[in-house]
Amino acid sequence: MSGLRFNVMHFMPYAHLPENHKEFKSTWVSFPNKYYDPEKGYELYQRYFEQLVLADKLGFDAIVLNEHHNTVYSMMATPNVVAAALVPQVKRAKICVWGVPPNFMLPNRLAEEYAILDVLSKGRLEIAFPLGTGMEYWSNPVNPATSRERFRESLKIMLQAWTEDGPTTHYGKFYTYRFLNPWPRPYQKPHPPCYIVGTGSPETIELAAELGFGYSSVFVPRQKALELNEKLRERSAHYGHTLRPEQLPLLNFVYVAETQEAAEKEYPEHLQRFFEDYARSTPQWLAPPGYISVEQLKIRSAGSDKMHGGFDFKAISGAFFISVGTAEKVANEMGEWAEKMKTNHLNSVMHVADMPHWKTVKNLTLFAEEVMPRLRKGENR
Amino acid sequence: MSKLAREEHTIDGVKTVVYTAGKGDPLVFFHGAGTVDGFDFAEAWTDKFRVIAAYHPGWGESGDDTNFTEIHDYVMHYLELFDALELETFNLVGLSLGGYLAAKFASEHGHRVKKLALIAPFGIHDPEHPTLDIISTPGEQVVPMLASNFEVLKNRLPANLDVEFMAARYRESTTVARLFWEHPIDSRLPRYLHRLQMPTLILWGDEDKIIPVQQAQIWRKHIPNAEVMIVKGAGHLVHLEKPEVVASIGKFLRD
Repeated sequence: MSGLRFNVMHFMPYAHLPENHKEFKSTWVSFPNKYYDPEKGYELYQRYFEQLVLADKLGFDAIVLNEHHNTVYSMMATPNVVAAALVPQVKRAKICVWGVPPNFMLPNRLAEEYAILDVLSKGRLEIAFPLGTGMEYWSNPVNPATSRERFRESLKIMLQAWTEDGPTTHYGKFYTYRFLNPWPRPYQKPHPPCYIVGTGSPETIELAAELGFGYSSVFVPRQKALELNEKLRERSAHYGHTLRPEQLPLLNFVYVAETQEAAEKEYPEHLQRFFEDYARSTPQWLAPPGYISVEQLKIRSAGSDKMHGGFDFKAISGAFFISVGTAEKVANEMGEWAEKMKTNHLNSVMHVADMPHWKTVKNLTLFAEEVMPRLRKGENR
Repeated sequence: MSKLAREEHTIDGVKTVVYTAGKGDPLVFFHGAGTVDGFDFAEAWTDKFRVIAAYHPGWGESGDDTNFTEIHDYVMHYLELFDALELETFNLVGLSLGGYLAAKFASEHGHRVKKLALIAPFGIHDPEHPTLDIISTPGEQVVPMLASNFEVLKNRLPANLDVEFMAARYRESTTVARLFWEHPIDSRLPRYLHRLQMPTLILWGDEDKIIPVQQAQIWRKHIPNAEVMIVKGAGHLVHLEKPEVVASIGKFLRD
């Protein structure tokens, strides 16, 4: 695989769960926000920004942000604000907002915000369009039962705003634009690289294929991710698009330490808390009515959703893209995954849950200094 | 008492399943937001009425139409169905969400509704006695709240809440979400209720945990020709808990 690209993805969790948090079935949607302490929030932003600025200096190719609401899982309810704050500090790496559910915002405003970020960063923005997790629909006044239609229409408006000279018009089911003519326009032409992220709903795959966008499955087991990539290739070809490897970012969780023992000692507790506590949700929050089709609901309730609650380190590491160990082991595993998934685009989560700063810094540093060179060397094999 | 017979119609491309039996004055029944209560209770009316109970699009055995995003789409659907059934005038009974639909229908097409019975109707905004938000309340909590005596509902539920059953509920919740996610409150409903000039019965279980019985008085205040019947010891599915109310409704419509 040539042209390897390394992202670091950060969720910016609120890492101070109250002692009684296990009393709550979910740390999303209805988890009381009185447990948010802005002074601690300030300290965490300082720390996370430091980590991302470091990643830029260490040679990561991109910083990845995303959006979640009403949860300790993420302090990026509006990731474009965070991205704007990062632009002057992250000098070289791309800034990926992966992303704002386009059906949650007025499409012209989102097109404008992204254009501003792209111009501010001199064309370093990348965008992904998620439908948003089920949880976001309980937190935003957007109907999950019509979300896919609204998503499509929002996307159409944004692309029209970026690719056609304004003013243009749009008369749709959800939005009317008499003068679609947003200023500024993106730095990159016709617009920043676009992806769709999702958990593998057939409808979402189809949309990515139709638009010729990249696609990244998130929180699906390795075997399913492989099948989804194959499906996407097939459907993209159907619409006349040839997918490039970099259009298939591979989301993974990584922890590198000096020895295997150290890695296995230092990491699992945080990953466990990530799954059990930070990603803890309920079936109802995960699937608001209409968010998925009845067929998908049957499929999903037949298989258990391991990503939200319940933890077995071995089982989870075996099933998902999770690599923990020495630089050599991690490089080997990631190399294999990239080959299999036919991608050169590795999107790594390197801070999870309440991981202390030193672990994240070590992880980022060892990854940049020892994993990246190994993988890059392998490129010319 | 006759067993209801199943009919299948296609209304504007939507499969519409109608259960019907009996002879006499037509009686149309509109079901609520879930269909586990079934239509068999309505057989008690078949001695005196031609009973017509249809599944609304998006519920039960009827098909889906994802373009139905407001209650008025259902009013239009029923106008078309009534044309297909050659129904001119009829008595109308609505339960819960079906009560709301019946009130909307009757406020627009009052000349076709001889008498109206609303059983614990949905749709009134009463901040002091709010309707339970069935969208955000977990299903496993809603189900036991449907009746005061849960036994009457129990034999209509599968022993284990299997995937098929849950999927059927998810589909019906999806239909509800399409209608009410953004706007669960119809603030304009009361202003048009005065158009319900036909004799109207408002029937409510006094232990209703879904839509509080106190809302009955608001309906009565707005409907000119309404009488209220409060049923003691019954919850939301009062027609299942107290089968005698089915007879009372029949009597009201007949007399």
